[in-house]
Amino acid sequence: MELLTPRSRLTFTGKGGDLFSVLIVNWLLTFITLGIYYPWAKARRLQYFYEHSELDGHPFHFHGTGRELFVGFIKAVVLFGAIYGIFFYLMQLQEVWSIVSAYLLLFGSVIAITPLVIHGTYRYRMARSSWRGIHFGYRGDLKELYRISIRDGLLTLITFGIYGAWFQMNLRRYVLGHVRFGNSHFQYKGDGLDFFLMNLKGYLLSLFTLGIYSFWWQRDIYNYYVNNLSWHFSDGRRMEFRSTATGGGFFELMVVNFLLVVFTLGIGLAWAHVRTMNFVLANVQMVGDADLDSVVQTELEHGGALADELGDIMDIGIFL
Amino acid sequence: MSTYFKANYYDGLTSRPQEAEVALREPGSLEVQLPNDRFFWPLEHGGMEWERSGSMLRITFGDHPRKVLIVRDPLFIKSFVMRMQLAGRRGVYDRTLSLARRGPLLFFLALVAIIVVGYVWVLPFTAERMALLLPLEVDRKLGEASYGSIMLGLPEDTARSAVLQEFADKLDLSEKFDLRFHLVESEQVNAFAMPGGDIVVFSGIVEGMERPEQLAALLAHEATHVDERHSTRMMVRQMASYLFLSLLIGDVNAVVALVAENADNLRNLSYSRGLETDADQHGMERLQAAGVDPAGMVQLLELLEQEAADMPEEMAFLSSHPLTKHRIEKARELAQRMGAPTATDPELERLFQALKVREAKEAPIETVAE
Repeated sequence: MELLTPRSRLTFTGKGGDLFSVLIVNWLLTFITLGIYYPWAKARRLQYFYEHSELDGHPFHFHGTGRELFVGFIKAVVLFGAIYGIFFYLMQLQEVWSIVSAYLLLFGSVIAITPLVIHGTYRYRMARSSWRGIHFGYRGDLKELYRISIRDGLLTLITFGIYGAWFQMNLRRYVLGHVRFGNSHFQYKGDGLDFFLMNLKGYLLSLFTLGIYSFWWQRDIYNYYVNNLSWHFSDGRRMEFRSTATGGGFFELMVVNFLLVVFTLGIGLAWAHVRTMNFVLANVQMVGDADLDSVVQTELEHGGALADELGDIMDIGIFL
Repeated sequence: MSTYFKANYYDGLTSRPQEAEVALREPGSLEVQLPNDRFFWPLEHGGMEWERSGSMLRITFGDHPRKVLIVRDPLFIKSFVMRMQLAGRRGVYDRTLSLARRGPLLFFLALVAIIVVGYVWVLPFTAERMALLLPLEVDRKLGEASYGSIMLGLPEDTARSAVLQEFADKLDLSEKFDLRFHLVESEQVNAFAMPGGDIVVFSGIVEGMERPEQLAALLAHEATHVDERHSTRMMVRQMASYLFLSLLIGDVNAVVALVAENADNLRNLSYSRGLETDADQHGMERLQAAGVDPAGMVQLLELLEQEAADMPEEMAFLSSHPLTKHRIEKARELAQRMGAPTATDPELERLFQALKVREAKEAPIETVAE
């Protein structure tokens, strides 16, 4: 059946020159406003990337605005400012108890904030993303996310990091499993043991090959993320995702991007971004019998960008 | 009858795309033709939003879930955007972006030019102005903060410091600060000034001197550093250029950061060389005002040149003290312009000789005779 042949349906239509214009104006305005423009710049950048990512020739859209991100930005600055303020106050007392509690405070707040950040980032980003006029949404429960994070965090600590592979997979399964697109939803079925063994193999082989294998390791991770993702529709039909990325492809992508950025003193960054997006999207194939026209709008508009900005500061990327 | 353009229409209810045809209608509405429907969207309506991104125009209408139209025809986009811009104003962003898109490379080069001008001329100028606005108290506090730790390992000869102080007081070297002079027992041929007024002279440099004018020149040079607030100005400049650079390259890679940082260091070095020549010249003016022969500066520099003879020539390029020969020439020119030498003040001569005599224990005359 024709529908069941895997096909590349995602494309990136952005051009290096266009993105360069967007980035350079962002950079200029951020610079002359001493950084205050940053949230607006971020919104423009995201809009460019969404607008030029297409599924079946129809573009995605990012609805977030600089103003929303700015409010989150201010809150994030105040929150982190307060934490660092207390941290440095305790540090300069130079007492044993104050230094110990300063570090406890710092690590404690990172641990306490992380699930909130993931939750908020997904809620905001999904609510502000759409395709063909249908909004994405995130329906995860914050309490459940905390339960997973605390349980797996402790296990990771006790096992000196080994359980981290299970932690990552559990988190990914939970978060992606609660992403909605209209009345359809996503599912991720990665498994901690598989992921752990794959990373162990990647780590050891990279070690023995003096890092050369790391591109193939990168491919394995990417494939594991993509191949375990599926998209389920209300009529019970579904779409599976398949990666066609190769180690050689990753090698070429990363080496050329590196040279592109280094030898142009950063000017080539826009072209490197475009190459990455092309690679990432073109290497995803979809297979299945689901009808992409059949999705019905269900999500309401959500607000609140605090978490998205916190995620930005803590460098938490979004993985869908 | 106006022309219709192809568009994609999403009704906001389902993900099913519909082929649509759109046309601009006067006065002020957009006609949307669907296979089995037709409606008009008023252009100047609060619920109407549009956005142009690259070669794509996105028009949305109504409350959530909004209806969406996507048009890719460049002709339609052009006329639509022109029509909408007649009604509304364009923001700073759109104007800048369209400028950037017209010639990205030219735009970039123009930006780089502006930044270079800003960095080389505007930034130092502003930083200097700002530094001079700081109260003198800042210099005193800065000096106090570092004086203690710098003097920690240095043995001060308090008796000779007092003589040095008396010598300097006769010259009246600073209008703004109370200068405090310290003589440190050391072989090194060196002297330095701290912001706020502490000036440290090593005995090694005094021992090599033959005339009180040389010492007066040295003190005048260091006093200029204090009085002209060189440390504070330097600090503010460095902070300003650090802020400027980190803001500028916040997002860019480490290589750029490294290049920028080194360029910045080199520039600071050349600035501090400028400050040395500055201290020579203003020092000579101070000497003249105090009735001392400004040629003392020339003699002092000649002495330093002898002492520094073993320093390899290439090193001088990176040194904060500019090539001594060059400084000597400049000082000599200035001394000639300043006119005839005055006779040495006998009081200065007496203090100078007293300073050259090392206290007690050692036999000073013999040391000198050697």
